[in-house]
Amino acid sequence: MTLLPKTKTLALSAIFSAAAALLPAPLLAQAPNSVTIVREVDSDRYDPHRSTARAGTEILFMLGDTLVSLDFDMNTIKPGLATSWTVSPDGKTYTFKLRNDVTFCDGKKMTAADVVYSIKRWIDPATRSPVVWRAGPVDDVVAIDDTTVEYRLKAPYSELLYQLAQSFGIIIDKANVEALGADFGVKGFNGTGPFCWVDWRPRNDMRLKRNAAYKWGPPISENTGPAHVEEVIWRVVPEETTRLAAVMTGQSQITQYIPYSGLAQIRANRNLRVLETKEAFWTYFIGFKIDKAGIDDPLVRRAMVMAVDQESISKDINYGETQPAYSYVSQLARDWDKSYDGKLLKTNVAEANKLLDQAGWVRGADGFRTKNGQKLSPLAYGFAGSTWQKLMESVQGDLRKVGVDMRVQMFDATVAWGKLATQEFDMFGMSFPYVTAGEALNLYFRSQNVPTPNRMNWKNPDTDAALVRASTAIDDATRSSGFAAVIQQVHDAAVWIPLYHEPMKIAQSVRLAPFKAHNIYGSGLYKGLDLKYAR
Amino acid sequence: MSEAVGAALPLHTARKPRPGMLVRLMRDRVALAAGIVLLLIILAALLSPWIAPHDPYLTTRRRMLPPVWEARGTWTYVLGTDSLGRCMLSRLLYGTRSTLLVGITATAIGGAIGMFIGFLSAFYSRLDGILMRINDVLLSIPAILLGLALAAVIGSGLYAIIVALVIATIPTVARVTRSAALVVMAQDYMEAGRSIGLPDHTLMWRYLALNCISSVFVYLTLRFAQSILLGAVLSFLGLGAQPPTAELGMMASSGRNELFIAPHIATIPSLAIVVIVLCANVLGDALRDLLDPRLRKL
Repeated sequence: MTLLPKTKTLALSAIFSAAAALLPAPLLAQAPNSVTIVREVDSDRYDPHRSTARAGTEILFMLGDTLVSLDFDMNTIKPGLATSWTVSPDGKTYTFKLRNDVTFCDGKKMTAADVVYSIKRWIDPATRSPVVWRAGPVDDVVAIDDTTVEYRLKAPYSELLYQLAQSFGIIIDKANVEALGADFGVKGFNGTGPFCWVDWRPRNDMRLKRNAAYKWGPPISENTGPAHVEEVIWRVVPEETTRLAAVMTGQSQITQYIPYSGLAQIRANRNLRVLETKEAFWTYFIGFKIDKAGIDDPLVRRAMVMAVDQESISKDINYGETQPAYSYVSQLARDWDKSYDGKLLKTNVAEANKLLDQAGWVRGADGFRTKNGQKLSPLAYGFAGSTWQKLMESVQGDLRKVGVDMRVQMFDATVAWGKLATQEFDMFGMSFPYVTAGEALNLYFRSQNVPTPNRMNWKNPDTDAALVRASTAIDDATRSSGFAAVIQQVHDAAVWIPLYHEPMKIAQSVRLAPFKAHNIYGSGLYKGLDLKYAR
Repeated sequence: MSEAVGAALPLHTARKPRPGMLVRLMRDRVALAAGIVLLLIILAALLSPWIAPHDPYLTTRRRMLPPVWEARGTWTYVLGTDSLGRCMLSRLLYGTRSTLLVGITATAIGGAIGMFIGFLSAFYSRLDGILMRINDVLLSIPAILLGLALAAVIGSGLYAIIVALVIATIPTVARVTRSAALVVMAQDYMEAGRSIGLPDHTLMWRYLALNCISSVFVYLTLRFAQSILLGAVLSFLGLGAQPPTAELGMMASSGRNELFIAPHIATIPSLAIVVIVLCANVLGDALRDLLDPRLRKL
């Protein structure tokens, strides 16, 4: 139904006014020089060692600091709380020199002892951190003096600096952790970040105030402190149309949680703009359980990968806002093997049909393929919700064209994670953030990570050996060649159907000055240091 | 004597015979129209594999085409296409079939079980207390909550919706049946039947059930409309049909994100739900009017 422009504007205003009226009343009241950010979900807590959701990391980056920072190119490591660092020739000892002017929000000085405590708490089994592997094979962490820390490893770990730059490596205050106990990150958080914890109402809002003493921001930000804005309010608005309405009506100044369908409207609105990055370090894919009947044949999996039209998914479903993915991680990621670019499987329905014929799967009268009386009908599990529903249906439609009857079962997120840890399904939909190719490969393709996150049941001694070789490398060539070997093994075996890489897109009011969006763990605002009102 | 009989006869034969229920129903033009529309919808749904112009599951790159009456519309896709380029008309036909299947199955099974419980409760006063307390418990569980719980246990899908709706239908039908049956139980012919030694099953079926089934049937037509609405709501929440199965509630749900860009994706299945529910309600009302002696137009 094409509406007349005037009617369309009126209808749009009415819809947005109605949606805005549904927003919670406190959203309407905010202090001057305050920024309200709307987002989709909340985190269960704000503990850097136990919060792995993006909803947790995006606030933790504002509350705390890391030893090192990662530049916007997602490749270059820059200083953070550590001004410099050296690595021993055997790659097992990292010596960090810390800033001497850093204080926590309560005014207490941050020292090497806090760094030691933070890392030790991260790897302590009692913490039950799901991301303990990211800290590497830690032997010990020692404070040499107040501004020097030695990070000793049992074996070299080439990913260390990249992992320390993420929110899991945030330095915390021992006294604060011990005082709050189980309520750490729930009732408070004493960090060294540009913003301090004020009040958190779970599933409603998180209020942060500027840390006036802050002047140790990472050099990647234009402003190294203190923050320009006095207050940041993160407000949870689950419904995407309501979030769009909040930004369109000026009740929220910035958000990265805008549906693709709404970005055109944002761009067309002279009061708003979209900040975007060319880097896309969040990848969506459908994985195969490679030992399940039918899809245990690499030929079948290759055919299924080639049947899927990634370009159509990015262009038509995602309104051209994402990058079609043929690789399992962004080709801009550190340690991506560029020599493999030409070997990536691209959409080719005729070739897919040929491969399935070659594998002995014959089309029946209903258009679907069978072999030895068995129908090629894999069962895929996914997350309920519009994003995955559309993706699954699109892939399902593409696979029907080559005679594969992909069945789909969608589950609410509360049930889905449990279901995805089982062996019940043949395929599964997933998306994930990463910083380097090595990080992604280590996470998904180690034998020891079966059944989750290695839901593919990929158990390959060569892969394990190559991952160890790359992760413990102390020179770039060995590391790159190790990861290149894994990239080749898993891509050749077609264990995933890559769908798209998602770049960072942030909608903001033109009242805010433009700034550079970050891709780290999908936390586009990063520390919020460059957030400021332009007028 | 013969005169008296002769005088009485003309009076008796002069009385106009009462028209049948169907004839009376057809005299109600609104009900007739609703009946015809509902019949056409059911026929279209049943014949969907033969009359659908396209494969309802075939995705194309002709996404979000508007219906034929819009500027960019085309006769190839009369009702346009959805966000995956699938024919809206074909999906509407298949979706109506799924929606009707949910409504009819849930009402039929839930209604049959509910009626049986209602009759038992009215007939055997000893069972009345326990059956109605169980009924009260079932009544206190919202159908949507039940659907969520079932979807978590047995997985989402049309079966989960049907089971949830059957469970939600049973207590309400049992209540209505019991009320109607208690009135019949107080009639003299029930007492007479007992006194001549008729077995319970004969009394229950021939005297009790047949005398109150019509009023329960009226309730079931209304319940059918409610089941369709509830089924659509559960599907809208993602608990119903799984992709690529077309179902009206799910179609409306998947189109809501494109409401401003391509409103037809959500509005067409929503309108279909409205029409089906409206027709079922109008028919139910007309049936009630016919069967209620106080509202009957002679």
